[in-house]
Amino acid sequence: MTFIIPSDHIELSLEQSLDHCIKCNICTTACPVSAVTDKFPGPKYVGPQAQRFRRPDQDTPDASVDYCSGCRVCNQVCPTGVHIAELNARARAQIVAQKGLSLRNRLLGHSDWIGRMGASPLAPIANMFLSNGLIRMITEQVIGIARHAPVPAFSRYTFRSWFKHRSAPTAKGTRKVVYFHGCATNYYEPELGRIAVEVLEHNGFEVILAKQGCCGLPLLSNGAFADAQKYHEYNVQQLLPYVKQGIPIVGTSTSCTLTLKEEAPDLLGLHSDEIKLVAENTYDIFEFLRLEHEQGRLDTNFRPVALTLPYHPPCQLRAHRIGRPALDILEMVPGLRLLESTSPCCGIAGTYGVKREKYEIGMAVGAGLFDFVQRSGSDLALCDSETCRWQITHGTGVTSKHPIEILHRAYGLASPSTGG
Amino acid sequence: MTSRMIVIGAGLSGLMSALALAEAGLRPLLLAKGYGTTYWTGGTIDLLASRRYPNMPLHTALTHLIVAQPEHPYARMELDGIAAAVDRFRTLTKAAGYPYVGGLERNVVLPTALGALRPTALLPATMAAGDVRLGGEILIAGFHELRDFFPPMAAANLQAQHIPARGVYLTLPDGYQRHDYSPRSFALWFEQPNFRQAIGQQLRTLRGTATRIGLPAVLGLRDPLGVVNDLQQISGAQIFEIPTLPPSVPGMRLMNIFHQAITVAGGRIQIGSEVRRGLGAEGVLTHIFSEAAAREQRHHVAACVLATGGIAGGGISTDFRGTVHETALNLPLHAPESRQAWFASRFLHTEGHPIFSAGVPTDDQFRPLDSTGHVVYANVMVAGSALLAGDPVEDRAVSGLALTTGWHVGTLLATSLPAQLAT
Ligand SMILES: Cc1cc2nc3c(=O)[nH]c(=O)nc-3n(C[C@H](O)[C@H](O)[C@H](O)COP(=O)(O)OP(=O)(O)OC[C@H]3O[C@@H](n4cnc5c(N)ncnc54)[C@H](O)[C@@H]3O)c2cc1C
Ligand code: SF4
Ligand code: SF4
Repeated sequence: MTFIIPSDHIELSLEQSLDHCIKCNICTTACPVSAVTDKFPGPKYVGPQAQRFRRPDQDTPDASVDYCSGCRVCNQVCPTGVHIAELNARARAQIVAQKGLSLRNRLLGHSDWIGRMGASPLAPIANMFLSNGLIRMITEQVIGIARHAPVPAFSRYTFRSWFKHRSAPTAKGTRKVVYFHGCATNYYEPELGRIAVEVLEHNGFEVILAKQGCCGLPLLSNGAFADAQKYHEYNVQQLLPYVKQGIPIVGTSTSCTLTLKEEAPDLLGLHSDEIKLVAENTYDIFEFLRLEHEQGRLDTNFRPVALTLPYHPPCQLRAHRIGRPALDILEMVPGLRLLESTSPCCGIAGTYGVKREKYEIGMAVGAGLFDFVQRSGSDLALCDSETCRWQITHGTGVTSKHPIEILHRAYGLASPSTGG
Repeated sequence: MTSRMIVIGAGLSGLMSALALAEAGLRPLLLAKGYGTTYWTGGTIDLLASRRYPNMPLHTALTHLIVAQPEHPYARMELDGIAAAVDRFRTLTKAAGYPYVGGLERNVVLPTALGALRPTALLPATMAAGDVRLGGEILIAGFHELRDFFPPMAAANLQAQHIPARGVYLTLPDGYQRHDYSPRSFALWFEQPNFRQAIGQQLRTLRGTATRIGLPAVLGLRDPLGVVNDLQQISGAQIFEIPTLPPSVPGMRLMNIFHQAITVAGGRIQIGSEVRRGLGAEGVLTHIFSEAAAREQRHHVAACVLATGGIAGGGISTDFRGTVHETALNLPLHAPESRQAWFASRFLHTEGHPIFSAGVPTDDQFRPLDSTGHVVYANVMVAGSALLAGDPVEDRAVSGLALTTGWHVGTLLATSLPAQLAT
């Protein structure tokens, strides 16, 4: 199998960005993975340094790059703008292209397959199956998914089925948004989707449910670029008609929105006008609400929410490079105090921390965050990314929610209903 | 929330500005492309050590400079302004358990990792026992595994300068072997009592007649003073840190301290966001745009501190045509006319290289000026290495300049702003 690493202008700028590396090692001091394991030599070595020895027609010099979690902390701190995490992701793809994708990583990469199998009225049975210790042990031995790793529970209904059958459909309005729910909301957390829809509708938007597939991030981060490209192209095709009418795409999964905006186009080297248009019109939900507020259009008539909660901005949100939009909005809610975590990563990094050989590393990376959450004494933590929420709960026993749920509460919107 | 106090740059100048603004209740947003040169420097604060003002107290030298160069940033702050910034920095680091010593009295001369001697105004207490005036034999100790720190060479160079010194290598205790080592690995290990105990014992054995022991500046991240105390107890000698090559553990400690202080005071820090351009009207900066995924992030500006550093920090950039430009807001610069004039004839020229003196010219309130001497933006102030400041490298007015101008500009902005901005 040969997979051609794209040779476009972004690829060129990626390659050239390694010439900006001045070997200062700032990235090495910031990488949360190399801090806890000797298996990973750090961003500078596997990124700009090893890249000089990677040629399409040669074996890759070092397999340790597979231990990069893709958290992108290195990119943010690098003073000269080297795209280290992208270099690493492409290097992993080169290894996968040469050696193939393991069954485990293929499964983890297709979160939509698994979701489709599990999210049904039979979910309780599937969940029992997944929480069975013996089965988890066998899965660890045979497939390589760590037996203690956090796996979410399937929902008995999907978000899409709820949306289609709900009793009070969205009012037709002049201002519309397309909601990108992602796999997690559809199969595991449909409640979150309902809440997001209600917050958007409360602010006068008609919410459209476009056809959509998995964003492809789990495949990208497992190095399966060719498969990821199919998903991305499908999504662009589905979303394009809306953005062409000026309708923005808004998502609650900060990793899905990042993938639509940047990860997929950059890593896959896809830069057609269509792909760019979709990217430029995709927003993380709080980013979108913050822009609404800047235009004076956001309803800021909040009820007090007397809570002090730990908030973890996940690495995928930081990678948007848009600051802390959830904090910017929620700091207007009377009585609410959010404690911002400064931990670089929770350790799960999508599917990284569920892998047998990486589970311990992920838990060690997240230790600082777990400690922060536990010391807050709160029984609720907030985080914009689903896999990170599951990891936080796994590491602390504390329930984790998307910050939009607090905004929903501040608007005094209806209490949770059961889906159907 | 809609318009904000913005600081661009996370070096010492930006951090000091953001701290001043946050403490004034102005909730600044600090945007930076990456970490500043703080991660590269030795962690000492060099205010002034110019060959033009030899053999005199530091404050006298500063006074001379203030008189001789009335347009120098130091002259615009005056001695009081400099002292106020130094005071704030000392109380900040002291409160964080990482106190700095020194001040405007005199420069302390410290040994470098090469065994050269280097004057500085402010130094972490963990480096204080390195003061060459203290006398006695010095033992320099390091690890083969920690690159670019060669105790025998440092000792030989000190000896050549008539300072009695010996260099030895320590052995990593069992269980600490790795594929690779960085200053951070050592810093994390020194936080473990067992590691300290093992190293302290070796130092005790190797000490001989030495009264002071110099170690690479990797003695822990959170409580280096505690590590120094422990090692002193065990080894029976005074311990001091010597700055390593980058990455700098003292710089990491400072960054942590500032991060904590700024966020506790209500500021926000956003790293990984390069500012690409600004937009203004009628002499006022209204918006800036930072690089982000898929599209720029737009920020509404109430007022702004430009603290983007010089050539090293990325605030000033050059290209092959010989153009020199300011990277964030494209402010006018003073720089050598042509590419030929950037460099002196020799690499280690005593006069330094002209290009490193490039900077943004400002008025007495640190506001940027154009070539006709008019203020470009009335709500922008410049601090740190981005400033036009004579020849900072030659004057050794480097991190000291960043620290003092950063604080000064932050307080100036906080007091000169219309009251409605303070929420
Ligand atoms: C290797 C090295 C060693 C040094 N050692 C010492 C020493 O031992 N003692 C000493 O006194 N001085 C030393 N210096 C000098 C000293 O570090 C600097 O003079 C001083 O710290 C500069 O601080 P600053 O805040 O002005 O800028 P910097 O520390 O340069 O920080 C600039 C900041 O601005 C950001 N930035 C730049 N452009 C943009 C943009 N367009 N948008 C957003 N952000 C931007 C950067 O990412 C960075 O965060 C050393 C310098 C270097 C390079
Ligand atoms: S931080 Fe950037 S410049 Fe420094 S070593 Fe890492 S990649 Fe290179
Ligand atoms: S992306 Fe994260 S894990 Fe990978 S090298 Fe960068 S900092 Fe380390």
